[in-house]
Amino acid sequence: MSTTTPVRTPSEEDIQPQAPESGRVSGGLFDPAQLLKSLPDAFRKLDPRVMVKAPVMFVVLIGSVVTTVLALKDPGSWFGWAITVWLWLTVLFANLAEAVAEGRGKAQADTLRKAKTDTVARRLNGDTEESVPGTELRVGDLVVCEAGDIIPGDGDVVEGVASVDESAITGESAPVIRESGGDRSAVTGGTKVLSDRIVIKITTKPGETFIDRMINLVEGAARQKTPNEIALNILLASLTIVFLLAVITLQPFAIYAGAEQSMIILAALLVCLIPTTIGALLSAIGIAGMDRLVQRNVLAMSGRAVEAAGDVSTLLLDKTGTITYGNRQAAEFVPVKGTMAAEVADAAQLSSLADETPEGRSIVVLAKEKYGLRERHEGELVGAEWIPFTAQTRMSGVDVDGRKVRKGATGSVIAWVEEQGGTVAEDARKLTDDISQAGGTPLLVAVEERLPEGKSVARVLGVIHLKDVVKEGMRERFDELRAMGIKTVMITGAPRPPRRPGTWWTWTPTPPSSSRSSRSASSCSSRAAP
Amino acid sequence: MSPVLSGVLQLLALVAALALSYRPLGDYMARVYSSEKHLRAEKLIYRTIGADPDAGMRWPAYLRGVLAFSVAGVLFLYLLQRIQGVLPDSLSLGFTAISPDQAFNTAASFVANTNWQSYSGEQAMGHAVQTLGLAVQNFVSAAVGIAVAVALVRGFARSRTGELGNFWADLVRGTVRILIPLSVIGATVLVACGAIQNFSGIHEIGQLTGGTQQVNGGAVASQEVIKELGTNGGGYFNANSAHPFENPNAFSNLFEIFLILVIPFALTRTFGKLVGNVKQGYAILAAMGVIWLGFTALMMWTEYAHHGAALQAAGGAMEGKEQRFGVGASAIFATTTTLTSTGAVDSFHSSFTGLGGGLTLLSMMLGEIAPGGVGSGLYGMLVMAIIAVFIAGLMVGRTPEYLGKKIGTREIKLAACYILITPTLVLGFTALSMALSSPPGSILNVKGNSVDGSGAHGFSEVLYAFTSGANNNGSAFAGLNANTPWYNTTIGLAMLLGRFLPMVFVLALAGSLAEQTPVPETAGTLRTEKPLFAGLLVGAILIITGLTYFPALALGPMAEGLS
Repeated sequence: MSTTTPVRTPSEEDIQPQAPESGRVSGGLFDPAQLLKSLPDAFRKLDPRVMVKAPVMFVVLIGSVVTTVLALKDPGSWFGWAITVWLWLTVLFANLAEAVAEGRGKAQADTLRKAKTDTVARRLNGDTEESVPGTELRVGDLVVCEAGDIIPGDGDVVEGVASVDESAITGESAPVIRESGGDRSAVTGGTKVLSDRIVIKITTKPGETFIDRMINLVEGAARQKTPNEIALNILLASLTIVFLLAVITLQPFAIYAGAEQSMIILAALLVCLIPTTIGALLSAIGIAGMDRLVQRNVLAMSGRAVEAAGDVSTLLLDKTGTITYGNRQAAEFVPVKGTMAAEVADAAQLSSLADETPEGRSIVVLAKEKYGLRERHEGELVGAEWIPFTAQTRMSGVDVDGRKVRKGATGSVIAWVEEQGGTVAEDARKLTDDISQAGGTPLLVAVEERLPEGKSVARVLGVIHLKDVVKEGMRERFDELRAMGIKTVMITGAPRPPRRPGTWWTWTPTPPSSSRSSRSASSCSSRAAP
Repeated sequence: MSPVLSGVLQLLALVAALALSYRPLGDYMARVYSSEKHLRAEKLIYRTIGADPDAGMRWPAYLRGVLAFSVAGVLFLYLLQRIQGVLPDSLSLGFTAISPDQAFNTAASFVANTNWQSYSGEQAMGHAVQTLGLAVQNFVSAAVGIAVAVALVRGFARSRTGELGNFWADLVRGTVRILIPLSVIGATVLVACGAIQNFSGIHEIGQLTGGTQQVNGGAVASQEVIKELGTNGGGYFNANSAHPFENPNAFSNLFEIFLILVIPFALTRTFGKLVGNVKQGYAILAAMGVIWLGFTALMMWTEYAHHGAALQAAGGAMEGKEQRFGVGASAIFATTTTLTSTGAVDSFHSSFTGLGGGLTLLSMMLGEIAPGGVGSGLYGMLVMAIIAVFIAGLMVGRTPEYLGKKIGTREIKLAACYILITPTLVLGFTALSMALSSPPGSILNVKGNSVDGSGAHGFSEVLYAFTSGANNNGSAFAGLNANTPWYNTTIGLAMLLGRFLPMVFVLALAGSLAEQTPVPETAGTLRTEKPLFAGLLVGAILIITGLTYFPALALGPMAEGLS
């Protein structure tokens, strides 16, 4: 008799995210407090100058005024009063709905503005620290942020490393590392330092920071109608004109037929005919769309966001960290003809010692693991001049014992070699192309050595193959996007687009400082996926 | 055979004939408008008028072509009528010049493909005007309509270009390769049925009761065929297709209905071919077909329904019907002629039952789109399709698109202007005619002296006149003396504005669509070739028309029909 109990396989319920609770959807739209708060706005919007922007409701407003006058002239008629009350309610309700929608946009902008003005910056004044409001910072100011501080403005980290919570801006909940040097030095105002201490050099003027732009965007969005709304308004306005005409012309017909109608009846008929409620269609659709998204654990903050998402036709994706895991690692050293792999490894390691980017470190690690080269430290080599990696030169290296070793982006290194009067090995370009085509990133290693006779010669030694691992399931997701008619474009800093069959569009920009920029910029190649 | 069964059988025969001709004619027309080659006769015409048939035109150039050609047509026709009095008798049959207001009305009417006739053909127009003026416009006004429709279709089919083709090439090809060959075939059939075709003068013949009657000869069959084929509707004789010289027997009656419908329906196939998806054409065809069949069935029902002893004894509402062919044939003809912008009649709409008369009115009020006039039906229906796509597309929650083209603010603006024009003209002019003191005097069925005593029928007559004019139908509700300066002028204006203003917006729309980059069809695209969309389209048409005209219809035909 078996004593094992059957293993319980995870049922559907375990895997599925919990079903959304009812009422989770509303997002405050039907919040009674919000309605009450917007009520004064609804009355304020009765101003004809405001109403005229919504032609359909403007016609109802005029109808209401006319029936009110007529009802006042004949106060005994309950019919006139009933129609009057209904018409005013119609106008007020439409205004209320609009006021509620606008209130939401304002609330978002207020939250952002609060984040901006509340921050206190610890500005460095020589060696002393002083507290100033975040809004008083100027370009070039140095500020200190420690764990728990809000970063007061946009800038670059010039000292230290810290983990930063950028969820307020990006929505990404995992903290990111920001450190001095390299391409992870930029920080945004309004984000929060979670650990350690960093010194930031402010790079944007007040009023032009990221948060300022966000506030403008949110406030602008509240005023601006979506193209669909504009188009719908045009259609509704023209239908209103048609029905207005139908009612106005009815009177001569009715007089001929001996059945003249009162103005109250005509006004009531007009309001019945004109499309007063279709204007709310878009909001209703937006709410339905938000509901559907919540069921898939996506929070859409407005119906407009849903509409905009529906119109997405192209998706621009950052390659590193989005499509790939983002930590490019050196995978192998490929020598050009006439050199040994070990020679390349040695030069690569030497030139990467001053490179603190993860790629640089991975080269040192690979040289150690694969070629047994002990990691040398900057202090060990006497008289060495270190050239650190910067985003501008895109090279790092060292000058030691009359030898100049460099490693870096293909274009930069080739330019350097040619500048030194050296020649580039013929197969170097082919090797880099091969790596690019395989989806990797090639880095060239070059050296300038003094020959015995005193002449110095620069030459390319080989190529470092940096591999970036593509996340699982990306291809399937791109296929799904393509089925939805959305083009995917990968934006990458790689020197030229990888030509792996049928993946995605690529765009490879090169910095303008590069001497070969014209060629690369024109290679801004886009290729439709099959 | 009961009258109802005979009506149904005629309807079935008609549907079968249309189905057989649908594909060959539609495909042929698609080839005509997309071919690169020019016939020798066409090259001669291009050389004569100095046009370059291969030059692509943007929409303003295309529109200038349409308007310049039509203005020239109006002027020529007006002058021809005004100088009729000085022409030799062999050309004028001795008729005098037409009065200025009536000449303007007639010129506007024939150039606008309306063919509203405030004159009586056999008592006013000689051979010259009939054959050189009216018959020529019957051809070219129809070809202009098809050209504009083809330009709109090209707007859908082309992308990243503003060019809509060449107006002069489209005009000449439509006339030379489509209308003339089909007319030759049709005229031969009509002559074989017994329609007359000669240039003889006026014969005086004795009547059975002893009096005398004047009977005109003329090139009737050739004008008759293009009258139907080009959805023109202007008869050689005042009695139109109820005249035995125009419509000799029951077969010719059915054949004329077939001629009216064959091009408008087949154009949906041409549309499908040119946009590269015939199913899209089928969806438009389905919407047109449902409305046409539905209205025909309703019309037959109202006219066969027996109210009162006289109607029961006759087996239907026989008054004003084409007695030779019966109620069924008259009902099919009436709905067909009003749903297309033809306006030829073989029976008198004024004498239909109240609701039947209302149906003819409503048919025109739909905007002549099911299947509509040649060309104008297709572009009208496509504009409605854009509006239906827009309303339905909003429910999907993204910018709506039709045939891969986004329906944005500009497109909706143009479509909205299009649907504004006709109701404005119809209701505006009718209200003016009812409110002013003298125009109601033309109504013959005045209060107290009419069939119903309430004046509702008289009101229907005026409403019908302007509905017919603004929608370019041209049929008349009889009982209205329209040959007065007021009606000649206002209906003339209604016809011109109702024809050419929509064309302005249609061509602007086509230009805007042609410039767009197509959006690829995806899972989120509204499927416009499915029955759901065809249903939506029919619904949108009926609701918009219904709401616009219901108050007016309630006071006219409905008040009469329900009393």
